[in-house]
Amino acid sequence: MDTRLRSVSRRKSTRILASVLTVILITAGVLLIQYLSYTGRELESLFIEKYKDSNYFYFNDVLPARNKVMYLLNNRDRIEKVPDDLDYYYYISEGETVFTNVPEDNKELLEEFEEALYSSGDWITEDNTDENYMHYFEREDDFKLALKFHDEYMASKQEFWENSRKSVMPFAVMAVLCFVLAFGLVIYLMVITGKSQDDDELHMWKIDRLYTELQVIAFGSIFAIWFSIANDVFGYRSSVVNKLEISQIYSLIFFGILTIFMVTIMGVLFFSMVRKFKAKTFWKQSITYTIYFKVKDFLKSLFDGRRFEKFPLTKALFYRQLAFIIVSFILVVLTFLFLFAPPLIIIPPIIEIAVIYWYVKYNNKTYEEINKGFDESLEEQMKSERMKVELITNVSHDLKTPLTSIISYIDLLSKEEDLSETARDYVNILREKSYRLKNIVSDLFDLAKSTSGDINLDMEKLDLKKLIQQTLGDMEDEIKDSGLQIRTKLPEEPIYIIADGKRLYRVFQNLIDNALKYSLKGTRIYINLEEVNGKAVASIKNIAGYEMNFTTEEILQRFTRGDKARTTDGSGLGLSIAESFTRVCGGDFKVDIDGDLFKVIIRFNIEN
Amino acid sequence: MDHARILVVDDDREIANAIEKLLTLEGYEVVKAYNGMEALDALVTNSIQLIILDVMMPKLDGLSTTLKIRENKNIPIIILSAKSEDSDKILGLSMGADDYVTKPFNPQELVARVKSQLRRYMYLGAMASARKSSQIVVGGLSLDTETKEFKVDGEPVKLTPTEFKIMELLMSNAGIVFSAEKIYEKVWQEEAYSVENTVMVHIRRIREKIEINPKEPKYLKVVWGIGYKIEKC
Repeated sequence: MDTRLRSVSRRKSTRILASVLTVILITAGVLLIQYLSYTGRELESLFIEKYKDSNYFYFNDVLPARNKVMYLLNNRDRIEKVPDDLDYYYYISEGETVFTNVPEDNKELLEEFEEALYSSGDWITEDNTDENYMHYFEREDDFKLALKFHDEYMASKQEFWENSRKSVMPFAVMAVLCFVLAFGLVIYLMVITGKSQDDDELHMWKIDRLYTELQVIAFGSIFAIWFSIANDVFGYRSSVVNKLEISQIYSLIFFGILTIFMVTIMGVLFFSMVRKFKAKTFWKQSITYTIYFKVKDFLKSLFDGRRFEKFPLTKALFYRQLAFIIVSFILVVLTFLFLFAPPLIIIPPIIEIAVIYWYVKYNNKTYEEINKGFDESLEEQMKSERMKVELITNVSHDLKTPLTSIISYIDLLSKEEDLSETARDYVNILREKSYRLKNIVSDLFDLAKSTSGDINLDMEKLDLKKLIQQTLGDMEDEIKDSGLQIRTKLPEEPIYIIADGKRLYRVFQNLIDNALKYSLKGTRIYINLEEVNGKAVASIKNIAGYEMNFTTEEILQRFTRGDKARTTDGSGLGLSIAESFTRVCGGDFKVDIDGDLFKVIIRFNIEN
Repeated sequence: MDHARILVVDDDREIANAIEKLLTLEGYEVVKAYNGMEALDALVTNSIQLIILDVMMPKLDGLSTTLKIRENKNIPIIILSAKSEDSDKILGLSMGADDYVTKPFNPQELVARVKSQLRRYMYLGAMASARKSSQIVVGGLSLDTETKEFKVDGEPVKLTPTEFKIMELLMSNAGIVFSAEKIYEKVWQEEAYSVENTVMVHIRRIREKIEINPKEPKYLKVVWGIGYKIEKC
């Protein structure tokens, strides 16, 4: 039962129905009130039982009567006869002077009035306490005005009052019913808003991401607009009629549509805020909170050291700056204050000078420290770079000496005549591997030297086209043995660049060597050279014979090689050496892997 | 030549022993020394035809030893060094060494170099006085324009007519760089068009014939991106 109710109450259709109903009920209630005011019915009669207690009585009877009496008083010399058809008695006393229409024979009335002023069974009094009034009529201090409405008049008015109440009542009851129902529906919607049929989680809408302030302002301003229009509309009164004018009908329709529209918007905003309340984000999702949080976090970060974690030296700079700004600001304020005490005005500038001196002096000190740290780290880096080169040089020397022995003795061993067939095989393997080790050591040394920049270059103007052709000629045997074809596309004219020929030869040798080693059988290797935007661009493309499951960065890392490639000979440093040598010669080296296509692009500035 | 006595100087005894074995197998007599001072002593007490000298040694290093030896002797010196850079090689050669071999070395290459140096030493000693006008000599290379004979360290080497012409051109202009086009025009007597590869292939073949290690040629060098030349010795 419980779950069923829940599933019904949370159904989307129920919700939409409730929302629409709420809007309709509110609009209907509002329109009923508007209708009442258009038909001139007094709503006050619902709340005030006695006519004499109503505001209506005060505005429609008392004030006009008083004004009339004052008029009579001011013009008593010119008016020949005080009208005797008034619905009230008046009595004005000003010191000894008395102005009244109370007949002489109605003495007890006058006596009563002496005690308490009267109207409609009670006297209505105007004391001299009302300053505006006194001013207006320029009366003396002891001015007194009393009015008394005739009992018959008041009785007829009371009857009108009761009739009015009778005619208003049904409409009022309906309007109240509308509002009460609407209120109930709003409560229901407030409870279920954000909840879905399936779970108890709170589901937020997109509009809920709006800042709370924006929602409140939107809600408030829409309500204000609606209210001011409503005020205008309700302010339009007419005498009691049962039929509406055509313009009033239009006005009702217009105001109804407007109300539907605005109530809908306000409803959306209102329920959004309700959901935020439920989710406890009403405060957190406001601009105020965001600013508050940022400011708090910023201030906190200043003091808990988070802000200066990376650059501890700037901390001092920042605090000094802060102090400087605050002190300067105070001094400016003081300067303005001291404008009223001229001799003192000399003080702020003096303090300011002192502060500037302090600020500059200590900041310079901090800058010095920062520079020192910077220099130190730079030196440290250079030192470690130098140490690396030395290390590599020493290590490679230490490797070479035992390797010399190994190679020599392997050679001697192979010259032994009484070796068994197996032993001879072993010796051959040893020889092969020792030469491979020799190449690795030598490559490692070259690479370490060139990457550290500690390398002697023999830079000269050379023809890159010729260099590529020479390299290809030099490697003709290897190319033939590989069974792969090389397709070259070289320009007619020579392309001159400045580089170290030997190093650049190593670059192309390594690249072509790699291409020969790792290409898929039966594919072609493309070597292109062309001039592009004043640059010599050489590219070597080949289709890899294995899956290149590495990135261009990885392939350039020293010793990184394709898994399969690891088993073949070579040091694995070929590409790294090619890159490093290209760089030291002032060229640009780029590796591009696109599926199985492996491409190396080398760029040099053309020299004319 | 068969009874040449070679002085091997290396502070690493295993390497010295290995080289000793290697050379003894080739029929040479070997005297060992383990530093520069011992080497100088050995030179005084023995009649030595060739020295293999390590660079980094205690007491007296290889380069200083070379200088000392060169004060009164011009026997061939092959320097052995773990330093493989061009600048090291140039330094060693300028000190008066005749060859520079980097460690780790190929034993066969070392033997070949020893033989080459010994041959040249003996050969030049015998031939120095009787050089014909038709002969062009650069280092250990000699070329006779009349007999079309080509010798490396006194050993005849067979060159094809084209190869011979290339060598003739380069050797008579030792130290000068020739582009492939120029070589082609002079040798083939034809207009050069797309000849880089043709020339390069010839150069490579010649290198294989005349150089002990074609990968590190001593005489016939490629100037990358420019041309070819014979190193002036």
